[in-house]
Amino acid sequence: MSVSQISVFVESRPGHMARVLEAFQRASVNVRGYSASDTGDYGIVRFIVDDPDKALEVLKDMGAAAVKTEVLCALLPDTPGELARIMAIMARCGINVEYSYSLISTFIAISVKDLDAAQRALEGESIELIDQNDLVDFDRTPTKEKE
Amino acid sequence: MADMTVKGAALEAAAHGRFDELPIHNPSIECASRERIEAIQLARLIDQVEWAYDRVAWYRERMDAAGVSPSDIKTLADIRKLPFTDKQALRETFPYGMFAVPLDEVVELHASSGTTGKPIVVGYDKGDMDLWADCIMRLVQMAGVVPSDRVQMAFGYGMFTGGFGLHYGLQRLGCMMIPAGSGNTERQIQMIQDYGSTVLVSTPSYALHVCEVGEKMGIDWAKSTLRVGLFGGEPCTPALKAEIERRMHIVCTDNYGLTEVMGPGVSGECLAERDMQHIAEDHFVWEVVDPETGEPVAEGEMGELVLTPLGKHAIPVLRYRTHDLTRVVTERCACGRTTARMQKVRSRSDDMLIIRGTNVFPSQVEDVLSGIDGVTPHYRIVVDNETGLDRMTVHVELKPEAFSDSFEQMDAFRRAIEEKLKGVLLVSSKVKLVEPGGIERSTGKTKHVQDLRKM
Repeated sequence: MSVSQISVFVESRPGHMARVLEAFQRASVNVRGYSASDTGDYGIVRFIVDDPDKALEVLKDMGAAAVKTEVLCALLPDTPGELARIMAIMARCGINVEYSYSLISTFIAISVKDLDAAQRALEGESIELIDQNDLVDFDRTPTKEKE
Repeated sequence: MADMTVKGAALEAAAHGRFDELPIHNPSIECASRERIEAIQLARLIDQVEWAYDRVAWYRERMDAAGVSPSDIKTLADIRKLPFTDKQALRETFPYGMFAVPLDEVVELHASSGTTGKPIVVGYDKGDMDLWADCIMRLVQMAGVVPSDRVQMAFGYGMFTGGFGLHYGLQRLGCMMIPAGSGNTERQIQMIQDYGSTVLVSTPSYALHVCEVGEKMGIDWAKSTLRVGLFGGEPCTPALKAEIERRMHIVCTDNYGLTEVMGPGVSGECLAERDMQHIAEDHFVWEVVDPETGEPVAEGEMGELVLTPLGKHAIPVLRYRTHDLTRVVTERCACGRTTARMQKVRSRSDDMLIIRGTNVFPSQVEDVLSGIDGVTPHYRIVVDNETGLDRMTVHVELKPEAFSDSFEQMDAFRRAIEEKLKGVLLVSSKVKLVEPGGIERSTGKTKHVQDLRKM
């Protein structure tokens, strides 16, 4: 169980990320979470979206350098100590978290080399993992219900 | 020439290595022994130096100041006693200061574009025009052109030497000239079809444009009458040439020349060894010198090309510094010619950057990048000395397929490019990865270098 993440190469200059986001907006791609980091010269922006294939297609059409990779996505109860608990499990199992970032609500995305091993470790500790479909379903928010 | 339809007997023979079936315009010179070529050069050089000294005050003053007289020229090596001529000299004497014949003997005037300051004006008398046509007839036949060809000239005419220079020579050979001029691509394509043009004269980038527009119009270039591309006006990379050959089903060559010494026709590419160009040695004495010291380099070594046209009367030019970097070899070519061959000019001495005391040419960067998968050939070099030391940053465009989600891998890729550059440039540089399409494309001469150094 994992979700797809779209990573994009961007130059560290004003407007580059906005351009990507505007293209997503035009294609009605909904961003569920993101992380932007840079080296000073260039950066990698990572997105978790409702429709990763469409997002990748949008980026390829723009001529951007982008790839799709898999990450784990866990839902944490919104109480103190939960983030500490998940990281402690990973540490105990000797799994290196390469990077991690939070999404909407209290989802966090975690990148590791061996997804299956990390998944087994977390599920054994009753941590709820979600998949791509859960991100789509998450659209059923109170705002939408009003329509 | 792989992967394309070869049209015409001459190109067919060349494609199969049967170069003896191709016409050679003037075999008594083009296939002469080295001794004979040098004897002709020496006799003509002596006349040319006398001509310049007797008729052009600029040369007389400089030769007197250098303590050299025409009678000092007894061997070809004695040419080194003469002062160099540079572009500045031709500018200072604008318009007619370098002319050696009365203006009523001049039958044609050309000029190089003066992007900075005044243009350089050159004149030709009747004999000069014959000499020029002779050079053109040689080079176009090297490229597979025959008298029955129909030549569509897509160069602009006007003051530029390329248009009329090639026109006269090709016409003298017997070709049917179609003076289309530049621009209006759809009309050019219509003319190729209506008149059955077999040769296209243009810049390589314009030929590619014609190719693409034709493809969009539904032209099947394999079935077109067009069979030869004669390129000039801008450098043509082997990759660009190969692409045009493959898509347009024509054989493309380019030639070398410059307005200051004549125009196109100094040297031309034969079909045997595509990176080298045969110099019309009975019309030009060539030297290859160290651009810093002006001293000759060993035969076959890279250096700056210095040219002395022979038998050129309206404007004699002695030892013209071209600033073009090349190497010249004198071995017999597989095409049968014995005239010296210069490697295609890829860089100019005035493009040269000095980075922490090391000479760096942008073309070296291009060569390294073209050998790396995952980057495009587009690049920009930025040099600064903000930290006190020269610092060179090479902006390299990433191909989408070379991107990975990992900073670690991207950085390893970046460092690998830095290592490869250092291996060739012998000086370290920083590589900055930019996104696909991130380096500005230009249609004319691309500006690769941005030098921000403060003195």
